[in-house]
Amino acid sequence: MIIRWVCEKDNKKWLYPIEKCIYCKGPITKQKGKKSKIMGITKVNIPSPMHPIIPYHVMLLEDEHGNRIPKKTMREHKIGKEYVVERAKKNDAVIITKIKYDLKEALNESLGLLNSYEIKENDKVLIKPSIIEPAYSYQAVNTNPKLLDALINYLKEKGVKDIIVAEQAMLGNDVMVSAKKAGILDVCKNQNVNFVDLSKTDYDETEHDGFKFRVAKEILERKIINIPVMKINSQIGVSGAMENMIRVVDEETHKKMFVDDIEKTLPKLIKTLPKFLTVGDATMGMQGQGPTLLGEPAFLNILFVSKNPVALDAVFSEAGMLKTPEYIEKAGEMGIGNNDTKNMEIVGDELDAIKYRLKAAEKGCTAHPNIKLIDGKSNSYMFNSALKITSKLVGLLGYELHLVIGTQLTKDMLKGKERVVAYGKDAIQKVNDLGVKVLAEISEDIDDLEKVVLLKGVLEDPKKKRITQVDKVKSKLAKFGGKIKKSF
Amino acid sequence: MAVYVKGVGMTKFGVDKRMSYERIYECVEEALGHSNINIDDVGAVFVSSMELDTNGERQRHTGPMLSSMFQKKIPMLTVTAGCAGGGAALWDAINFQKSTGVNNILVLGFENLVANISENITDEMFRGGERIYEQAEGMIFPAQNALVAQQYMMKYDVSSDDLALVALKNHENAFDNPKARFYGKKVTLDMIRKSPVVASPLRLFDCSIPCNGAAGVVISTDKTDIEIVGSGLSTTNLTSFERGDMTSWNSTIKAGKIAYEEAGVNVKDIDIAEIHDAFTPVELISYEDLGFCSKGKGADLIRKGDTNLNGKIPVNTSGGLKAKGHPISATGISQIYEIVSQLRKEAGKRQVDDVKTALAQNIGGAGSVASVHILKKAV
Repeated sequence: MIIRWVCEKDNKKWLYPIEKCIYCKGPITKQKGKKSKIMGITKVNIPSPMHPIIPYHVMLLEDEHGNRIPKKTMREHKIGKEYVVERAKKNDAVIITKIKYDLKEALNESLGLLNSYEIKENDKVLIKPSIIEPAYSYQAVNTNPKLLDALINYLKEKGVKDIIVAEQAMLGNDVMVSAKKAGILDVCKNQNVNFVDLSKTDYDETEHDGFKFRVAKEILERKIINIPVMKINSQIGVSGAMENMIRVVDEETHKKMFVDDIEKTLPKLIKTLPKFLTVGDATMGMQGQGPTLLGEPAFLNILFVSKNPVALDAVFSEAGMLKTPEYIEKAGEMGIGNNDTKNMEIVGDELDAIKYRLKAAEKGCTAHPNIKLIDGKSNSYMFNSALKITSKLVGLLGYELHLVIGTQLTKDMLKGKERVVAYGKDAIQKVNDLGVKVLAEISEDIDDLEKVVLLKGVLEDPKKKRITQVDKVKSKLAKFGGKIKKSF
Repeated sequence: MAVYVKGVGMTKFGVDKRMSYERIYECVEEALGHSNINIDDVGAVFVSSMELDTNGERQRHTGPMLSSMFQKKIPMLTVTAGCAGGGAALWDAINFQKSTGVNNILVLGFENLVANISENITDEMFRGGERIYEQAEGMIFPAQNALVAQQYMMKYDVSSDDLALVALKNHENAFDNPKARFYGKKVTLDMIRKSPVVASPLRLFDCSIPCNGAAGVVISTDKTDIEIVGSGLSTTNLTSFERGDMTSWNSTIKAGKIAYEEAGVNVKDIDIAEIHDAFTPVELISYEDLGFCSKGKGADLIRKGDTNLNGKIPVNTSGGLKAKGHPISATGISQIYEIVSQLRKEAGKRQVDDVKTALAQNIGGAGSVASVHILKKAV
């Protein structure tokens, strides 16, 4: 759709969604074209980082108002023909929409292209964002508050009155602190919508293929709209539609899902949940060592929408030119959704036309170049916590060491690794079971500052064989000092 | 206040691996020598550079960098305007000189462009396009200009063979220009016609050649043999598709009108012109926008040879962006270098007889900013 913002009095048009005319100060109206015709087309044969696949075509489209836009396509088109974007015909179609300055319009357009998605006035809607860390919205860790705002506006325009936004941080983090910093709480307050910390709500048990999940009752009883940030996840490949639903179960289930292999339990969780709509937030998107603050914004400016989370995640993986994560493959095998993008209905923008190589995560990488992470299928809390500790040591000169986490560590994984630190009860137990000598054991239960001081000692001293009582006293003193400092 | 040209300097345009400071030093040394002054006599510097990410120099803050290079503590300002940076810097310097009376101003353009893989250079240039509608839709500069060219060709019955004649003419001129990227390199019509398609209908030889280089000019309030009699600059929408008529660039028309009026000349007085042929159709469109012919008749000029070296109004005697080369911000100043060479009868084999008045047009983006300067042999 071609859109211009128009001041009829001054006969001026803008590409940008401005609110008033800078000449006459008068109101601006949105001019939307109904039909567009192909006025020109060029076939481009040289690649660029943003457009790595050639040849591609750029059409020049013009609507009935004489407004024009260029549009990239991988298909052959003829000058003079009408250009039409068809609505989805299948239930599991994925809608791709590039945002043209106006996020609300992109959202409306995407939802309008879905095949039969109905919102009723008396629906009880639960919006499930991604809120995982206290981070500002520009950091692309948490859902863009502007997308949440646009979605609430959309729902209110449909007459929906009962809307809540719900999330939980899990395992020690405070979701309210994160939601505040992310700007999510402000949107909820302005929209008069309740923000619910799921960890403080009741859970019901569901089961699939022998695995029992305790799922927040709100999730089971409401119509869910999932709005995850689309990210690279250095632990499981991609965080998106499926991964964002991990945080609807209780803490014990969450831990068990990782112990029992998240690649298999995540598809099972999706299978057991009621059907939900996903609006994948790639307004920014994250690349690199996501999904935490070690990742970086990708500036994608795209929405991915689907009623099938497997299809949506598969499309995102391919759009970022990433290897399809194992859990998405498994979900396809389990029949939860189509993960074969070649045999999938994709509507709106073309998948090949938006392909852009995202910076992939490097396995085992941490924030400190000398600390490697060996992940024995730890839960996401331990994974993120390990990365967070290493991020506090950036800038220190150190000697290579291996931080090991998880319940599924094996001798092979640790073979030839001389300087090993076990982090978390699971890893400590496992290295002891395996008879592997480690430099240090750090429990997840101690204060973060203590963890940092202990790890720092080992990192900086190549001769250090074990953490001593002196180190532990030092770390306690550091914690004490930190508290005194905070009190001033 | 009248503004004169004292001297000019320019490196050879090419793909040498020197660093920017070396090129700047070389062209400034030539410009000062040509002006018969030394660096102490310069009262201000206007410099244009894209301050590229991809060339490995990581050097922004160009004005103070020049202060370090030349050990001068005077106003040194950076002007960026995409490919029109050189022309815009000159326009700024002229207005600064007229308002402050600073005696000698050095105007520089330089670029270390060809210093990375071509995808990265394409991406760097790409950032000059509008990000949401153009960059996200794959409208690299050849694609932008291809869509304009297509509209122009359909509207005025212009063929690829006409575009090829523009390329051929400019390559023939560059053959004799020792500072040109294609100096001494023979390019035939057959090579042009058979060159690969970059963005249809534009072929490789319809596109200017990116290169490295630097150019400088010293303008002065002291009377010399060359006066800058007209200076115009204008902008229009960043995006070519927003313009009512995509086949005519309003920025050139407006800048040209200002320059002609200020100079008190009309198009019939122009003996030669350096035109911003970033892509061959842009040269034809510019003939029309500058009034060399009526709308839609640009191709007639090239078909009849009117803009050849021996034609009625020779265009791009240097070889133009097409064959002399296009080091972005240096281009606009290199056009002045050629014009001064022609006015002073220093153009060697490319010398056009009896040049008294000349015009330089420098464009940024797909017509989104343009400067026009008219220089005249002072009497």
